[in-house]
Amino acid sequence: MRPTPAAWLLLVPGGLLLGGLMVAPLGLLALESLREFVGGRVGGQADRPLTLANYAELLNPAYALYFWETFRIGALVSLLALIFAFPIAYVAARTPRRGLRKGILGLLIAMLFLSVVARLYAILMAYGPTGPLKGIAQLFGTSASSAAFAEVQVMVGLLHFVLPIVALTLIGTVQNINPRLEEAAMALGAPRWRAVTGVVLPLAVPGLLSAFLIAFAMCISNFVVPLILGRGVVLFVSNLMYIRFSEIANFPSGAAIGIIMLVLSFGIVFGLTAVIRRLWPAAGGVR
Amino acid sequence: MTSGLTRRQWMKGAALAGTTAAVAGPGLVRPAQAAGTNLMVVQWGAAWIDVSKKIVAPYEKETGDRIAWELHAGGAMAIVAKIKPNWPNVPYHVISCWDPVFSAMIKEDWLEPVSVAEMPNLKEIPEIFFQKNAKGQLMSVPLSTAGAFWGYRKDLVDKPIESIEQLLEPRFKGKICVPYPVNLTGLLLVTLAMQRGGDERNVEPGWEFLKELAKRGNIGRVINNNSEFINAMSAGDVSVAFFNNGGWSVVKDRFPVTILNRLKDNKGFLYNEGFGILKSDRTEAAKRFANHFARADVNEMYNIPLGSGPTNPKAKVGEKAADFYYTPDELAQYAHVADFGYLSAQVNDWAKRWETEIVPLLRA
Amino acid sequence: MKRLGDVVASVLFVLLFGTAVLFLVIPLAVSVVMSFDAREYIGPFPPPSLSLHWYEALWENTAYLDGLWVSLQIGLLATGVSVVAGGMAAVFLDRFRFPGRDALETLFLSPKFVPTVVVGFSILALCATLGVRDGWWRLLFGHIIITLPFTLRATLAALVGIRRSLVEAAMILGASEFRAYLDVVMPLARTGILSGALFAFVLSFDEVAVSLFLSDPFTTTLPVALVAEMRANLNLTIAAVSALFVGLTAVAILVLDRLVGLDRVIGYGIYRS
Repeated sequence: MRPTPAAWLLLVPGGLLLGGLMVAPLGLLALESLREFVGGRVGGQADRPLTLANYAELLNPAYALYFWETFRIGALVSLLALIFAFPIAYVAARTPRRGLRKGILGLLIAMLFLSVVARLYAILMAYGPTGPLKGIAQLFGTSASSAAFAEVQVMVGLLHFVLPIVALTLIGTVQNINPRLEEAAMALGAPRWRAVTGVVLPLAVPGLLSAFLIAFAMCISNFVVPLILGRGVVLFVSNLMYIRFSEIANFPSGAAIGIIMLVLSFGIVFGLTAVIRRLWPAAGGVR
Repeated sequence: MTSGLTRRQWMKGAALAGTTAAVAGPGLVRPAQAAGTNLMVVQWGAAWIDVSKKIVAPYEKETGDRIAWELHAGGAMAIVAKIKPNWPNVPYHVISCWDPVFSAMIKEDWLEPVSVAEMPNLKEIPEIFFQKNAKGQLMSVPLSTAGAFWGYRKDLVDKPIESIEQLLEPRFKGKICVPYPVNLTGLLLVTLAMQRGGDERNVEPGWEFLKELAKRGNIGRVINNNSEFINAMSAGDVSVAFFNNGGWSVVKDRFPVTILNRLKDNKGFLYNEGFGILKSDRTEAAKRFANHFARADVNEMYNIPLGSGPTNPKAKVGEKAADFYYTPDELAQYAHVADFGYLSAQVNDWAKRWETEIVPLLRA
Repeated sequence: MKRLGDVVASVLFVLLFGTAVLFLVIPLAVSVVMSFDAREYIGPFPPPSLSLHWYEALWENTAYLDGLWVSLQIGLLATGVSVVAGGMAAVFLDRFRFPGRDALETLFLSPKFVPTVVVGFSILALCATLGVRDGWWRLLFGHIIITLPFTLRATLAALVGIRRSLVEAAMILGASEFRAYLDVVMPLARTGILSGALFAFVLSFDEVAVSLFLSDPFTTTLPVALVAEMRANLNLTIAAVSALFVGLTAVAILVLDRLVGLDRVIGYGIYRS
């Protein structure tokens, strides 16, 4: 049914918020990214002609490294999150024991309630140079003070951040796969692990993909994890932007990085969603 | 006006209603509020804020003024970046600054000139310590002479360091802690440049040195403020660093530290710290506050835990500051006063060079 | 009869499950223990002697309590606005079909994929242009836009499951469409909307990057107060805050379970309800 003229009123509050708090601010950001910056001054020069210099500067191949690092670490962490989250989600969705299910749900929801900063601080305490778990990071063949160690810490922090969200998403995925299918496979003589890998996993692919995308989007735009755990060596693109804002007061360059991040983020999320939808028309994509 | 005012008014109203109810209830009369001014002061964390709070407690009682603190986070420009978009509607009245921040704020015309007439304690402070604007007015309230030096934890370094050229040795792999180049307004690059015959206007040799250190994997940690520095040095995962004397002073309280302030082939940096008074409707109280810190006994008390030198000649120099208190002969040999006005115009480019040339080496 | 493959698979499975749970819990336990460290600095674990002095320091630092208060205000208000505005838009998107509907839905969900630093930076630019200098309003603006897609999505998902015929039945019985929605659909969608609201609140309460750009010295959220302290004055008071957080969260989860039921927040899916 087509909307009646009066029904459009339903969109007014949301539309105003969207226009006023997303579209307009992003427009201003785009404008700032075209302003000229003079070293030693604060912010862009409003009275000078617009320039593309802030973008040109980012063409330096070294900046590609930051994007690559951000994407690489983000993809790796999202993959790890899927591997660790699936068993949790499977148990929570399928266990006949209510207490276990509640315990898992409680833990996962508690992680969301618990401030990310408090969790990162806890990781700093546990895996940091004075922590009892620094040996675990050293298992990866790195000493506690090298850059690789910082990278491991950032990955641990990101994983801690996205794991509960991915697990909660996957609970929904597993729950919406008919348990009779596994029962049927096992009744036909398949061992349980075959039933899970052969029946549940393939059916969960769209859900896994969309959970991966959620995790990936959260990782690559993350800012606090590298800020707190990156030891000044691991910098994500968002950290570069924040440095321009807070340390050198070069707002135009920060704005240019922001616009590039925005374009990439939208491109990845909507592009991959379109691909997933084509391959698995039933999948909802990233929503 | 902004709608924020209405909310504040509303909150005030609610608070007032609450108070009235509380007062009316038991039939007590609240003592009249002392006539004082609320001041917002921006100060560094760690030792700075601790000693400032100690000084201010009796001062608040004496004057009736109330002081609220906010802590600096990050490099010199952080506070400047915070003020810029909101100027002149900023909540701060006094800002703890050092030379480069003073020059940035003078350039933006945010600071209120000070004078001996209004702040009698300033007359004891030598004129050389003051920052001036183009008109020659005094623009800062200098409180400390401080410095930035190389140093190391004696308990973690097996044989003494005599030249920072030694930092290239493999024993320092992952053990060196350096400030992000924007921090300390790029002094890290200047000290490295001076090691190789350059200076702040010729930092190319400094970049070369920095690249060598990074390539060898000797830089283990990049820090951005006092707190990170103190924690990195306390944790012991790094043992050698370049940082300011305030940071070193705290580490020295906990561990044996050698500060390399009399190197044969390099120099330490000296600069001044103090208060900048922002233009506002409360400059009178702000000047009263800053004047108090310039008083000889207060100036002495302020500088001792910071390990910095007092600017008021009547104040005694603390033990920790004696380290870098150079005699006039030594001053020429061991100390360098950098051109901070020039440096602060360079940090934008240096930050980008750091991102494009050094960080990739650190990650390799 | 258990087969070898099943045993190996179960062991692997339990191992993976256990590692994940320990991975989530251990750091928190470490920081709770460290919060009782008697040393004046952050030294190696475990603490050689215990003391409550970090809790005393916490007690004296009002920044955290002020931050908590602001976080609660902003979180509740932003969630409320988002639930209403997002809910109305969701009803519209659920009810009507027209060309461009999907694009409109995507547009409404898109704030979710704007990186948070970009949200913070751009809202700050907007507020500077409009002359809004009060951190409280800036924070509210930022938090509304980040929560909006989540409440909209949750309401939409809840509405999709409700049969259209229920509305039509109510209308045959004489209700206006508006009343039919209010009396029939909304009660059915309530759990979905509530869990969306809960998620929105948690998201806002936990937000750091947006708030870091938008807060002012008088209006700071709890996470920003924590980050500021970590950067300016890193010590174990933050461990004490974390420990209190762990305690409060445990209580919140128990209360949530009693009031709503954790199961209902998550739901059982379409095969067990």
